[in-house]
Amino acid sequence: MPGPDKETDLTERIEAFLSDLKRGGSGTGPLRGSAEMARETTSLLRRITAQARWSSAGDLMEIIRKEGRRMIAAQPSETTVGNMIRRVLKIIREEYARSRGSSEETDQQESLHKLLTSGGLSEENFRQHFTALKANVIEAINELLTELEGTTDNIAMQALEHIHSNEVIMTIGRSRTVEAFLKDAARKRKFHVIVAECAPFCQGHKMATSLSKSGIETTVITDAAIFAVMSRVNKVIIGTQTVLANGGLRAVNGTHTLALAAKHHSTPLIICAPMFKLSPQFPNEEDTFHKFVSPHEVLPFTEGEILSKVNVHCPVFDYVPPELITLFISNIGGHAPSYIYRLMSELYHPEDHEL
Amino acid sequence: MRKNPDMASAVAAIRTLLEFLKRDKGETILGLRENLTWATDCLTGVDSSVAVSSGGELFLRFISLTSLEHQDLSRCKKVMEERGELFLEKISMSRTKVAKLCHTFIKDGTKILTHSYSRVVLRVLEKAAAEKKRFSVYVTESQPDSAGRQMAEALRKLNVPVTVVLDAAVGYVLEKVDLVIIGAEGVVESGGIINKIGTYQMAVCSKAHNKPFYVVAESFKFVRLYPLNQQDVPDKFKYKADTLKTVQNLSEEHPMIDYTPPSLITLLFTDLGVLTPSAVSDELIKLYL
Repeated sequence: MPGPDKETDLTERIEAFLSDLKRGGSGTGPLRGSAEMARETTSLLRRITAQARWSSAGDLMEIIRKEGRRMIAAQPSETTVGNMIRRVLKIIREEYARSRGSSEETDQQESLHKLLTSGGLSEENFRQHFTALKANVIEAINELLTELEGTTDNIAMQALEHIHSNEVIMTIGRSRTVEAFLKDAARKRKFHVIVAECAPFCQGHKMATSLSKSGIETTVITDAAIFAVMSRVNKVIIGTQTVLANGGLRAVNGTHTLALAAKHHSTPLIICAPMFKLSPQFPNEEDTFHKFVSPHEVLPFTEGEILSKVNVHCPVFDYVPPELITLFISNIGGHAPSYIYRLMSELYHPEDHEL
Repeated sequence: MRKNPDMASAVAAIRTLLEFLKRDKGETILGLRENLTWATDCLTGVDSSVAVSSGGELFLRFISLTSLEHQDLSRCKKVMEERGELFLEKISMSRTKVAKLCHTFIKDGTKILTHSYSRVVLRVLEKAAAEKKRFSVYVTESQPDSAGRQMAEALRKLNVPVTVVLDAAVGYVLEKVDLVIIGAEGVVESGGIINKIGTYQMAVCSKAHNKPFYVVAESFKFVRLYPLNQQDVPDKFKYKADTLKTVQNLSEEHPMIDYTPPSLITLLFTDLGVLTPSAVSDELIKLYL
C-alpha cells in the first residue's frame, strides 16, 4: 500500500537528515555550507507537506513545529535550519489567510493599532480545511527554493556598485558568498584583496587560492596582523554564519577583532549575507550561542605535558555588535543594521520566534 | 487608584475615561470627543505623568477609529464600550508578556542595576526569580521621593539579594554590574524614553562602561513626542501638577523626569516584542497613520 510506505519513507528521510545534522556539526562529516543546509531543510519540509497526513493548516503547522524542534535540537548552532522552518510556517499562515480571503498584511503582527481595533482576543486556530491549501503551500515552498538558489548570484550582481578600481579589500576566513561577490567584481575591475587566515582552521588559505585562480591579486596575513594592515585597507567585506535580530552577527572567530580594527580606522564594514541567515535570536538569550570544538586545533594532543596544566578552548563563533557594522548586502539589496527588525517582521511571524 | 497601587496610572486613567464614556449623555460624536478631551485634561491636571497623557491620547485615538466605522451614535457607543473593556483586558496582560520576553536575558550570577521603583521591572525580576535564576540587584535610592527603597523592600520579599546605592554612586557601581534594566514612564517617537530623573545619567555611564541598557515598557506608554534635548520635554511632565499650579518661578524647582535619547538604549522590551529603538517609531506610525 502506498500510504504506510510513504510514511516510513518520510520518517526515514527525516532520521537521515537529523543524523546528518548531528554528524555535520561535529566535524567528521563533509563540511556543508549554510546554503546547502537551507536547501535541504526546505526540500525536506516540502516533502513533509506533500506526504504527511494532515487535514488543516493547524495540523500541518504542528507537524512541522514538532519536526522542527527535533532538527534544531540536533544541531543548535546551525541556525539556517530554524530559519527555514519559520519561513515555511509563515508561508502556511499566509496561504491560509489568502484562502480565507482576509487581507494578510494587517492581520499578522501585534501592533498598537491592532490593540485598539480588533474585535476579540483573536485566537486564530487555523482549523478550517481548504482543498487547495496543500497545492498552494507546495507552490510557495517551490518559490522559496528558487529564491534560495538565486541568492549568491543576486548578491554577486551588486558587487560592481560597491567595489571600485584599485581598492584594497580585506576579508577573513572563507565565505562562498564573498568569494562569488569578489569574483563578479573582478570581471570588470582590478583590485587587491587581503585575506586574514582565520586560525586555527585556516580557511583563509583556501579562499586565497580560489581568488587568485580568478586572477585577483591576493595576500594572506595572520590574524595578529589585522590591525597593522588595516590602515591601508579601503573596505572590509565579510560573510557571516548568522545575522541576529538586533542587527549583530554571529560570525567566525576573529571577526570581532576585525570589526574593532575597522571601526578604529573608520573603514566601512560590509557584510554579505543572504536572507536565509537572518535569525530571530538575540545575542544574550541562549546558552547555545557559542559553540566549542576540540582544542586539538589549538594545542595538539602531542603536547602531552602541557595539556594537564593548561585550559584550552577553541570557540568557533564571535559576536559582533551592530554598532560596528556599516552595511548588510543581501539578495534583496543593501540595508543598514538598524533596519533588520523590519526585514525580520516581513520574513517571520512573531509567534514562531520560539518554536 | 489608591486602592490598587499595583495598577499603572495609565490603566487607571483609561478605566476612568471608559466610565466617563459610559455615563456621557452627548448626542454627537464631536460632543463626545470634546467631553473626553476635557476629561483627559482634568486627569492630567491631577497627576501629570507622561503615562496618563499617553493613555488618554490612545483612548481618544481609539474613539476616533471606532467612530469612523459606525455612523449611528448609540451603536457606536456600545461597540466602544465593548472594545474598551477588551482593551483594558489586553493591557492588563501586557506586563506578563513583557516579563516573559525579558527574563531570558537574565542568567545565573547576573548583577543588575535598576533605578527607582518600577512595577514592570519588578515583574520581570519576579519572573526571573521564579525560574530559579540567581541574581543580585543594585537599586538607586532615587531622591527626592526615595522610591528606590520601596523597590528594595519588594525585592527583599522575593529573597533577591539587593543593595540600595546613592544616586551619585551609579558610576562607582557600574563596573560591578552586568546589565541595567529600567522601566519607562513614556516611550517617545525617536525610541528614547522619559523616566524618573537620574535615568539619563545612568544611561550615559552604562554607555561609557559598555554595559547593555535595557528598557521594559508596555505598549500603551508610547507617546507622540519628539524631544530633541532635555529642555524640549514639556513642563507639564517635568513637574508635579501641584507644583505647576502653585509655584511662580519654575527654574527653582527640581524636575521629576528626564529624557534618555535612543542612542544610549540597547533594546526595548514591550508587549509587542523585543524592539530596537529604531523600531519604535515604526510601531507608532502603524497606530497613528
